[in-house]
Amino acid sequence: MDDMQRSTLWTDALSENRLTGTWRNETPDYRNLPSPCLGACPVSGRIADWIGKVEKKDYRGAWETLVDNNPFPAIAGRICHHPCETACNRAQLDETVSICALERFVGDTALSEGWAFPAPPANAPAQSVAIIGSGPAGLSAAYQLRRAGVGVTIYESQDQLGGLMRYGIPAYRLEKSILDGEIARIIDMGVTVKLNTEITGAAGLQELRVRHDAVYLATGASRPKPLPGVDYDQPWVQDSADFLAATNAGQDCTLGAHVLVIGGGSAAMDVARTARRLGRKVTVLALEPEAMLPAQRAEVIEATEEGIEFVTGAMMQSAEPGTDGLRIRCTRVDFKRGTTRGAFNITPVEDSEFTLTADAIIPSIGQDADLSRWQDLLAGDGPVLKADASWHTGLDGVFTGGDVASMDRFVTQAIGMGKEAARSILVYIAPDVGAADAPADDPEAGFSVINTAYHPLAERNKPQNADVTARLGNFKEVQQSLDQSQAMTEASRCFSCGTCTYCDNCYFYCPDMAITKLDGGGYEIKSDYCKGCGLCVAECPTGAIRMQEDL
Amino acid sequence: MNMEMINYKDDGQFCSGHVACAGCAEALALRVIMNAVGQDAIGVVAPSCSAVILGGHPMSSVKIPFIHGTLESAAASASGVKRALVAQGKPDTTVLCLAGDGGTYDIGLQSLSSAAERNEDILYVCFDNEGYMNTGGQKSSSTPLNATTGSTPTGKSTRKKNLIEILAAHRIPYIATTSPSHLNDMAAKIKKAKTIRGTKVIIVLIPCLPGWGVADNAAVKTARLAVESGVFPLFEVEGGLTYTMTKATKTQPINDYLSLQKRYRHLNDEQIAQIQQDVDEDWQRLTTRAIEADV
Repeated sequence: MDDMQRSTLWTDALSENRLTGTWRNETPDYRNLPSPCLGACPVSGRIADWIGKVEKKDYRGAWETLVDNNPFPAIAGRICHHPCETACNRAQLDETVSICALERFVGDTALSEGWAFPAPPANAPAQSVAIIGSGPAGLSAAYQLRRAGVGVTIYESQDQLGGLMRYGIPAYRLEKSILDGEIARIIDMGVTVKLNTEITGAAGLQELRVRHDAVYLATGASRPKPLPGVDYDQPWVQDSADFLAATNAGQDCTLGAHVLVIGGGSAAMDVARTARRLGRKVTVLALEPEAMLPAQRAEVIEATEEGIEFVTGAMMQSAEPGTDGLRIRCTRVDFKRGTTRGAFNITPVEDSEFTLTADAIIPSIGQDADLSRWQDLLAGDGPVLKADASWHTGLDGVFTGGDVASMDRFVTQAIGMGKEAARSILVYIAPDVGAADAPADDPEAGFSVINTAYHPLAERNKPQNADVTARLGNFKEVQQSLDQSQAMTEASRCFSCGTCTYCDNCYFYCPDMAITKLDGGGYEIKSDYCKGCGLCVAECPTGAIRMQEDL
Repeated sequence: MNMEMINYKDDGQFCSGHVACAGCAEALALRVIMNAVGQDAIGVVAPSCSAVILGGHPMSSVKIPFIHGTLESAAASASGVKRALVAQGKPDTTVLCLAGDGGTYDIGLQSLSSAAERNEDILYVCFDNEGYMNTGGQKSSSTPLNATTGSTPTGKSTRKKNLIEILAAHRIPYIATTSPSHLNDMAAKIKKAKTIRGTKVIIVLIPCLPGWGVADNAAVKTARLAVESGVFPLFEVEGGLTYTMTKATKTQPINDYLSLQKRYRHLNDEQIAQIQQDVDEDWQRLTTRAIEADV
């Protein structure tokens, strides 16, 4: 007599003969749902996935998941505007997860460990794509295309790769060695690079179309918007892009002791803080009131800490050299945001004139894309190139993205556009290879599906900034990295919204033993017994199960 | 994620196909208890939801034999079973006695008190759903103040009986409370009780879905809020004197706990304040005892 028979000798049968599944009208359905951070991420990074790997100390796995969508985690971990953190469900419990700092931790680990991207297939690629411009969009597209085995040639007008990341972002926000490291990893995949090669005009573009199977045009927006009423030929006026390019290349600033930076965006902050580091007294003059400055909030706070003075809600009317520097006449303005991005209305406030003094002014009110050189071939759409949803320009085989094609001007948005265009290019040059997955229409795992009973309050590990006194007079990075133990505890704060973590709560909270744990992870509902109560869904800490009506 | 994983082992001692309501916390608790008690055990069950869930003649949802006794005499029957086992030379076999609050606080109290006074070697588990829920939901002496039941349609006018203080007065070796929101705690307390000789009583709070007016998926949440609000503190009493809090903090006001239940939806602010005050005072008394025991 086996154990089972002996143990049930006293009864006719076990209740397992009774199939209580017939009571049910809803069934639990295991489905990983997109997390809000993923929805907000410009590169659609699988954030909950890679943070889960960080928590398990699988840094390599985390990095591999990250670089699926973004070859620049160390760069994005420093300068991304991190809309993911704004979207983070955890903000509704205590504080958002420091996703950006975690990304930097993984990116830096990859660089210090020397992890390389897998080599593409060894045989010579059948197709080749020309990429014009090596900023974040161009390099992102190059990476994705090369990864798919396509030959890539980058044409860059400057003598180094990186575009805006090299010439527009100061070293105190993004160390050059980090930039070099993450770019080198892409080039090492076998990308051909033509530096100092400017593709000028329609003829140059036509030639590339003949030589390559497709062209990706990502020349950025490098032409400064002129500030009306300013004579750029004066020695006391310097354009912001020239200033940043020169100072980022290590050249000294030739301007006077007190600099007036005009503008309230990220570029203006970069200019102001660079000038400050070069020993200048700096005043920022912006049309927007302080709370509406378009720069990231942290940049404004850090600039203020560094002793930069803000004059907001005001505009310059004229600037004239006087006996001791410039006399800059200004007026207060009433600033109203317009309906489209970047649009605004200003009304000068009567009798509010005042005068500022400075030795030089650096207008920094944004940059335009130079569309004139493609005039005969490519259509414009307002200030940017026209492109359809797949980033195709309308000229056969020519795709575009980044600042030249969009007013979404954050670096990670450009990286995302490069990825999207690469997918479209793959479909264009080899339709059977590159077909993209249809986007899932699953609902986002919002805060309401998270069972916060399983997420005890935990203080956020914020990235720390270097001391203000240590920041001035040099270009050392302001933001410091998380150490390993901070990264681990921060990763454990992630709710893993919508992602099953195999915690077994559903299995243990089932009153009907109607869930089977599968070998190798995952669960299965026993349809014979599940009564459809929904306890498994209610007690899922991450919202990775939902009830589906039985039809 | 920074969460405590559930880690008891399910050896299949409680079977699918039982007839508990969908989402029933008593079935969930039975799953933990039957697996923690193990195979070397004999059960006695008083008429109750448990009797229905375990049985349904000729089938059984458990893999140990159960005697279905009377409502008055579960503890007495269990005492007899244990003495017979001892006489047969099987003193280590656990005798598990299950009853509801009706069979424990009210109708079975006399036989439980007698067994406790004799310190019979039984493990007595009371599934406390605060009323006679499987006969349609009448009040018991465990029903709390102001809760509506079929027989207290405007809310009960007296407080819930404090059974633990009654049992503690018997100076039995082990008394504990546990909740279906804390499954590791439940398994650990059953296992601990199994190792103790003498009368052990464990009271499990069971939010009754139809009886309390709780949603099918919310029994665990309700039980958790009962613990976190201090309405149902988790603790142990050893030897009738030594109180130990197994969850030492009270983190929630009672409002969320009350608002999940239809039996409380008639409450006015004054009544809610009264319940909160009672909970606070009881918590204070209990934790003071636990601190004194610790010194």
